[in-house]
Amino acid sequence: MEGENKGEQRSVRVPPPLTTYFLDNGLEVVLSPERSSPTVGVGVFYRAGFRLEPEGKTGFAHLFEHLMFQGTTKVPKPHFGNLINSAGGLLNGFTRHDYTAYFEVLPSSALEMACFLEGDRMRSLDLNQETLRNQVDVVKEEVRVNVLNQPYGGFSWLWLSQYAFATYPNAHNYYGEFADLEAATVEDAKEFYRTWYGPGNATLVLVGDFDVAGAKAVVDRHLGKVKSRQEPPDPILDEPLPTRRREFHREDPLAPTPQVAVGYPTAPFGHEDHLPLALAARILTDGRSSRLQRALVQEQKLLLHVGGGPHYPIGDSFEFRGPALFTLEATPRPGTSTSEAVSALDEELERLGSDGPSETEVERARKRDLSAYHANNDSRLGRLRELGIMAAVHRRPQLVDELPELFNSVTPTDVARAVRRWLKPERSSVLHWEPSAQRRPR
Amino acid sequence: MKDAKASGSEPLEDVPKPGSVPPVKITGVSQAQLSNGVEILVVPRPSVPRLEFRLSVPAGASMGESAAVSELFAMGLPLGTGTMNQSQLSERVQDLGGSLQVHQDHDRLFIQAAALAEAEEELYAILAELVTEPEFPAADLATERAKLLEGLRMAKATPHFPASEALQSAIYGDHPYGRSEPGETAVRRTGRAALLDFHQHTFTPWGAQITVVGQVEPRRTIGRIRRAFSNWAGPRRVPQVPAVRPIGSDELLFISRPGSVQTVVMSAASGPTHGHPDHIAVTLATAVLGGGFSSRMMNNLREDKGYTYSPHARLENHLRDGLAVASMEVRNEVTAAAYAELLYELARLATTDVPEAELQTTKSYLAGSRVIMLQTQAGLASALAQLRAHKLDHRYLEQYSKQLLATTAAEVRAAAARYLAPTVMTTVMVGDPAAAEGLDALAPVRIQRTARRR
Repeated sequence: MEGENKGEQRSVRVPPPLTTYFLDNGLEVVLSPERSSPTVGVGVFYRAGFRLEPEGKTGFAHLFEHLMFQGTTKVPKPHFGNLINSAGGLLNGFTRHDYTAYFEVLPSSALEMACFLEGDRMRSLDLNQETLRNQVDVVKEEVRVNVLNQPYGGFSWLWLSQYAFATYPNAHNYYGEFADLEAATVEDAKEFYRTWYGPGNATLVLVGDFDVAGAKAVVDRHLGKVKSRQEPPDPILDEPLPTRRREFHREDPLAPTPQVAVGYPTAPFGHEDHLPLALAARILTDGRSSRLQRALVQEQKLLLHVGGGPHYPIGDSFEFRGPALFTLEATPRPGTSTSEAVSALDEELERLGSDGPSETEVERARKRDLSAYHANNDSRLGRLRELGIMAAVHRRPQLVDELPELFNSVTPTDVARAVRRWLKPERSSVLHWEPSAQRRPR
Repeated sequence: MKDAKASGSEPLEDVPKPGSVPPVKITGVSQAQLSNGVEILVVPRPSVPRLEFRLSVPAGASMGESAAVSELFAMGLPLGTGTMNQSQLSERVQDLGGSLQVHQDHDRLFIQAAALAEAEEELYAILAELVTEPEFPAADLATERAKLLEGLRMAKATPHFPASEALQSAIYGDHPYGRSEPGETAVRRTGRAALLDFHQHTFTPWGAQITVVGQVEPRRTIGRIRRAFSNWAGPRRVPQVPAVRPIGSDELLFISRPGSVQTVVMSAASGPTHGHPDHIAVTLATAVLGGGFSSRMMNNLREDKGYTYSPHARLENHLRDGLAVASMEVRNEVTAAAYAELLYELARLATTDVPEAELQTTKSYLAGSRVIMLQTQAGLASALAQLRAHKLDHRYLEQYSKQLLATTAAEVRAAAARYLAPTVMTTVMVGDPAAAEGLDALAPVRIQRTARRR
């Protein structure tokens, strides 16, 4: 990289200001002002994800996310969305393994309204039979449109972990079996709300155009009076690492050609191999210059597509606590079998583990991360998402701004060691996704 | 609240009142034109030390001899030049903290790139080389062909692709906007020579537009672009897309996909595009119908009936036409019932005024989401690149909210009656044939037993 930026100023990284504190009721608050445009992002991240839904209640965490938009005693359905939209705002929510997030992005003058609405639905959600049945129907249509009526539906994120892991929290159907969704009751919802949706189990994130003192007062006013609830214990998620490769096959009547995914339990947050594996993912799969694309798509012409990384394709290295997969997904070229594709992946991982990446490859991966960091900071939703995840999942929102420095200290040797330790065949589960012998007639 | 359903617009106690949506302001814009025709627009937006680059060329998917040529051209550009192959190109861009993508719509090809601000000049040098001397090496092109064929096989296995292909063909007929995806033979036959020919004759700097948004100094940026792109030469001729003569059909086309667990429903009609006097009224009408959480399709078909997950309506803005589309995926048993509700919502919009509070919500939603989208470097760059193809610029974005606010319920109703009435919409469904039961009470139905082969 030397010799670049001839005489030009290198941009100095000045992280945006960040204030974090706790309310008396246990709610963590993260404030990140940035006043270059008149909008704010408001997010609430609950430490309640797919993994902790009870047995026999598969899909419940995500179903419950839907119920959070169904009104409260004070703001009945369908006011919530109307209020946000009529303030000129956007809203949505998403459920992941270890958290569920709710957010609004709106003109700054609507900050107080958004805080009011988040406090209101943290306190007095109206859980009733009518909206529950309605949203069970809606979620079933969501599963149909995203999974059951599509070729490769849910491949590989929804299925691979069900084969790769052994215990219920890590290995069930996160979208939900229809029978479980249909059996959900208002009592279940009330219990889930009571247990997991208290202020002590949540983080509120505000980003954008506000002054810190004013925002603190607003937060106090609308979220300070939410009563604290007993904080739930962290769920027990760990399970033993596999010791031999296991191969699984799944038929898809809609898929025209086979694909394959390989999942390796990956290093947990805080482990010395955690950051190196994040860089390894870029070195292996990010763009046409990545190792797997160059070797297997361009040179050996065995694959058409390859992608992957920790928690791929629905998250990244920081989205989880507890067991998670470093996944590689590949589409073999016609004429190549999925087994040949897996052997070729094995060889490339072996090469990276034994020879290590070049310093240039590591530096390139760091640059890409730095650039992604800046791009996230440019977007209300981007920054709010990063801060919320680091706070809710790892209880360290400051980490968002520390990461570029932390990545600077990862060396090629670290990457090689991490790949050798974690991305080895005997740790992996392989899912061969195959067209059914009898494809549905079309 | 159990007896009389809330409409969602009655006032609530205690809820803090927000202010009005702030206006869009885009300051510091600089524009220039190179002697080869390339038009440049630069917006300083120093929020983060990056820049976003868009090059839009009037070389879209509906141009060129065939869809195979224009699509493989777009896929082939990232394969590099005589001095850098695809992985070297990618390395050079990534070393700038950058990214590079090529995509296409009917009318234009877009090169979308980004980099850390410190690497501005290097980014332009790489992109200019790519634009002027693409190589399309035969061996790598063969891989892109295989990717395209695989992508097409996969698209045909989805329910959405055949639906939208049939819909566009029904509405646009032989017009390039109705052009279907290339067949296997056409893809296999398209070689390097055809792409080089497309590069020489269609991919011209005349009519090309560069948009840069980021931590840049506009005058210096224009100088850098001038140095990098001035030797791009090409015919002084801008390819034109012919005027649209929409056809449409009263017949509901039901494409049979046995075993489907849902029916994909798509209704559409030709409408106004950016710059047309009816454009904002139709944008509002489609948003009332199906834009966002508080729309009518959302409230009726999802939140009341539970028929569908993400019903929506939007106005797609092509250069020569706007396509108003309403779509949803519904479970088999309620296909006819859901379509009846959609027809009801279309008819209601065309025959009665949208109540003032609901109209106000929709205006704020559209104005606010515009402010939010335009606040990032990437969002502003993409929006400007799209609009500039219509010969509009940042001033259009600044006036948009004012024009939204000035649009009346009567204008929205008139626009809906003209462009969104049940009688002007063409409908295509894809699903299990058993799900078609009952539809013939609503429209003449034609069942197509197999997906069309081309």
